[in-house]
Amino acid sequence: MQVTGGGTGVAAGEEPGAAAKARRRVGPYTLITALDDPRTGLPVPERRHIARSADGRHTVLLSLPRPGADAGRFLAEADGSRYLLGPCAAPATALAGPGEPAWYSWPYQPVLPLPTALAVHGGPLPERTVRALGVALAETLAVLHGQGLAFAGVSPAAVLLAADRPRLSCFGAVRAAAPDGTPRSGLPGLEAGSLPPEQASGGRPRPLGDVYALGATLAYAATGHTTPERDELPAAFRTVVARCLSRDPSTRPQLAELIDALSIGAGTDAGAGADNRAATLLTPGWLPGRVIAALAHQSAAVLTAEIPVEAPPAPSADPGTSPVSRPHPN
Amino acid sequence: MPSPLIHDDPHAFGPYRPIARLGSGGMGTVYLARTAGGRTVALKTMHARIASDPAFRTRFRLETDAARVVGERFGAGVVDADPRAETPWFATEYVLGPPLDEAVQLCGPLPETSVRALGAALCGALGQLHASDVVHRDLKPSNVLITAYGPKVIDFGIARAAGDDHLTRVGVAVGTPAFMSPEQASGQEHTAAGDVFALAGLLVFAATGRPPFGHGQAADLLYRVQYTEPDLNGVPESLLPLLAQCLDKNPFRRPTTGWLASRLHDGGGEFADHLPDVLLADIARRATEVWQVMPQRLPAPAEDPDPGAPPAPARWSRRRLLLTGAGTTLAVAATGTAGAWAWSRWGGGPHTQPAPAPSNSLLPKKQLDSRWQIQVADPETYLSVDGLEYLPAQLHSVANLVVLVAGDSLNGVSAQTGKISWKSDDTVYTWQVASESDRVILVTEVDDGYIGSSVEDDASHANPLALASFDILSGTAEKPFVQFSDLNALPENQALCIADGVLYLVAGRGEFSQGFLSSQSWYVLAVDIGTGKRLWTAPLPKRRQDSSQLYFLAASVVGNRLVALQEADDGSVHAVVRDTRTGTVRWDRKLDGVAPDQVRQPLVTDAQHLYVGAGPLRALRLGDGGVAWDSKSARPGRTYGLPALGKGSLYAVEKGLGLVAFDPATGRVKWQEKGAQGAKADLKTAPVVGPDYAYTKRGGRLWAIDLSSHAPDHSYRTTGDRFMIHEKAGEIIALGGHFLAAFPLR
Repeated sequence: MQVTGGGTGVAAGEEPGAAAKARRRVGPYTLITALDDPRTGLPVPERRHIARSADGRHTVLLSLPRPGADAGRFLAEADGSRYLLGPCAAPATALAGPGEPAWYSWPYQPVLPLPTALAVHGGPLPERTVRALGVALAETLAVLHGQGLAFAGVSPAAVLLAADRPRLSCFGAVRAAAPDGTPRSGLPGLEAGSLPPEQASGGRPRPLGDVYALGATLAYAATGHTTPERDELPAAFRTVVARCLSRDPSTRPQLAELIDALSIGAGTDAGAGADNRAATLLTPGWLPGRVIAALAHQSAAVLTAEIPVEAPPAPSADPGTSPVSRPHPN
Repeated sequence: MPSPLIHDDPHAFGPYRPIARLGSGGMGTVYLARTAGGRTVALKTMHARIASDPAFRTRFRLETDAARVVGERFGAGVVDADPRAETPWFATEYVLGPPLDEAVQLCGPLPETSVRALGAALCGALGQLHASDVVHRDLKPSNVLITAYGPKVIDFGIARAAGDDHLTRVGVAVGTPAFMSPEQASGQEHTAAGDVFALAGLLVFAATGRPPFGHGQAADLLYRVQYTEPDLNGVPESLLPLLAQCLDKNPFRRPTTGWLASRLHDGGGEFADHLPDVLLADIARRATEVWQVMPQRLPAPAEDPDPGAPPAPARWSRRRLLLTGAGTTLAVAATGTAGAWAWSRWGGGPHTQPAPAPSNSLLPKKQLDSRWQIQVADPETYLSVDGLEYLPAQLHSVANLVVLVAGDSLNGVSAQTGKISWKSDDTVYTWQVASESDRVILVTEVDDGYIGSSVEDDASHANPLALASFDILSGTAEKPFVQFSDLNALPENQALCIADGVLYLVAGRGEFSQGFLSSQSWYVLAVDIGTGKRLWTAPLPKRRQDSSQLYFLAASVVGNRLVALQEADDGSVHAVVRDTRTGTVRWDRKLDGVAPDQVRQPLVTDAQHLYVGAGPLRALRLGDGGVAWDSKSARPGRTYGLPALGKGSLYAVEKGLGLVAFDPATGRVKWQEKGAQGAKADLKTAPVVGPDYAYTKRGGRLWAIDLSSHAPDHSYRTTGDRFMIHEKAGEIIALGGHFLAAFPLR
């Protein structure tokens, strides 16, 4: 199996010229391939692509709102993500200007959405991977909560696996899907199992909602679905993940508890401090071999991909669409 | 990691813009490069001045062709190439994975499952190559990149089509001794079965971290490959019979790649399933880091005297290529390997190394006992067409410098401090340099502008011979002071010695060839350095076709005698004395039981005698070649190393005993070393003698034997295996084991 996060075949260099010419342009970018593989069947709140600037110099991960989604809320969350801190945050570095169709982007690196990683691996991920994932994401959420933010969008598809650590994308997907006060159950793009009940009913996303969503996402990594039977979960963190999935936010664990529970018995250095447990887990072997192979395959295919070079359009042909934050000032 | 571009890197190769350097060397540079459409490739170039030689342009094209044959599944897929550009280049995919040697360095010996998967996949790669009638001939750990989807075989610099001797003729038919097949080591045809032998050696390396025939100097390796059994200690037991069968000395008894693949691996799982975590993590790192490269170009250095200086004259190109292509020493400590290419044969070079070579990384003195020590590449070997010629780097003591001639460069190192004064890429064969006190002369050539009608015509064209002084202050070769149109610049020319303002040299007339041709004529001649006048020219006996054994092993002048050790066509060693005024041979004596490799060392002579060791110790009268004395009579059955003269005595190491001092006139034993330690003394290394001590190598140390008490007194830790006295600095200069070092001479 060689699913690489591109259902359309990432090896664009092999495409005939006609297909290459048909590539879509979005803002200053030409699309190379889709990041998500629809065959995984999990909802994705955004349409994500690997894309490249017209001069060929900058390859990015580019997100667009789903068809019919509110572009304004999408852009507002993208704008908010620019200030995210934490090792696994994925802040937008460029976004569409006023009047332009909505998009945001951040620099490309090889990543696999979590559902693709399971498909590539051939099933649920090893316990070691789940622990590392859980601790790294929990540490980043703790930073975020310290900034006074709720992520509101943790889901299997939002988690991207990179070589060194996971990245948390799709910031604010729940808020973008519908404003507070509007029921969100069944909205397109939101994965039901990782949507906290209080947010599904229209409540304002809060930090303990992120704990629920993270629990569901870890359950997915360990079992292949977000609403597992209790005994499907690995015994080592069965209890704590089940507590994350409590309907009542007040009975969910704090992130520090979750980090402790996931670290126990995983050989982490207790002296590493509560805010740096992930580093002791993200060591060689944290990702299974086939996931690394898929990352390398994606990287090689994107290195090989070539976008069609066109004569630069006359400056007057494109009025009033200069992005608010010009992409790639260098 | 890739490094920034430097100021004079080209801005484009065809449609590719370089964005970073991946590595570089004497032959060319490899870049990470990108098209306007953002396609990223590894782009390998050949320096324009080297490419000015059509024979090497051809070689570059053939390498590209071989890479195309192997294809992108088992090799680095070729994207584009322009072998006709002024700077020829070819672009391949940027391969995401480390070379096998780096992988083993990183992970230690690989688990059996990795070794089996790797072996099976390499069988596939070789099978495809062989099916296209191409033999790789240089399969080794640095030429195999491990990606997550399987190994990729690269660097086809010496691959050739079976039955095509074109490349052989331009002199690049060499391999890496540690992984050579016995038939290749003995100069015979290396077929597909030879690649199977090399593959098995590579798998032994993967499984144990050691090459099957160990490390060491090429001559030893070549011997062991042909005559000794491989060291399979540590190879998993279930792999032993299979690998042993592949390492059979008889190529006809080795299995085919198809059969071997089926025995190595059942094909289950994916390749990545069989790799250790640390290796996978390195692959993942490479896949990610290539996206973090920011195009960057370093500014021109302020002191650059003339950034627009024309490239070096083309006359150096062919010799440079022969040397570099032949895998000779690059007197450079490589500054790290990078990316997708194996740098072994591209490592080091003046254009690309910001630091001079040898690198001036002065190591802490305390640990080493030395006055100074600098890292240099191993003083390696020159491998000729039939693969057997072993010629070490040369050390000269010139003024206040140590001049190291190694690979394709001359390096001037301050004898006092170990600081590198200069490095010259005036490419030279190590045996085409002679020195005397403060003067260095190069045997070189003049470009007569000949352009052949075809590549082959040009490959056999030899430029006229020339002699040039080398300025040891600036580190540059001067314009030749004399040229000889009746003699040619041939690889087997030799500078013998300089005495009283006269250079003695060997030169030939005929077509250019790597290895002697029976159509060539050869001479010894004497040239007055001051006037350029040729004093005499004396013919040498013809060499057999394709021999690569140089005529002279050592030479020096005593009075009006040119004293030399010569190697005859049959491999025997002769002591030959000529009249320095006429070139007439005064006498010629065959030295029984002496191997050429043992005596390729400075001659030991005084006014009366030539002293020869390496077996019995004997003194030959310079006057008539008669034996003045021989240790066989005084100490029958004893074996001696190489002798050294000093303080009125002749010193040599006696096997099993240690240092012995003789009366040079009579051969009488004056004294022998006290204590048991001398039993370990090394016979291959000649002693060096100072005012109070004689020094001999034993174990990893150079031991000083007190000339008064006759007992070992103190020692210096050294990796060196060759020692020279630098009189002006009062030092012993040691070379070997990647280091050049200086110790006080007392």
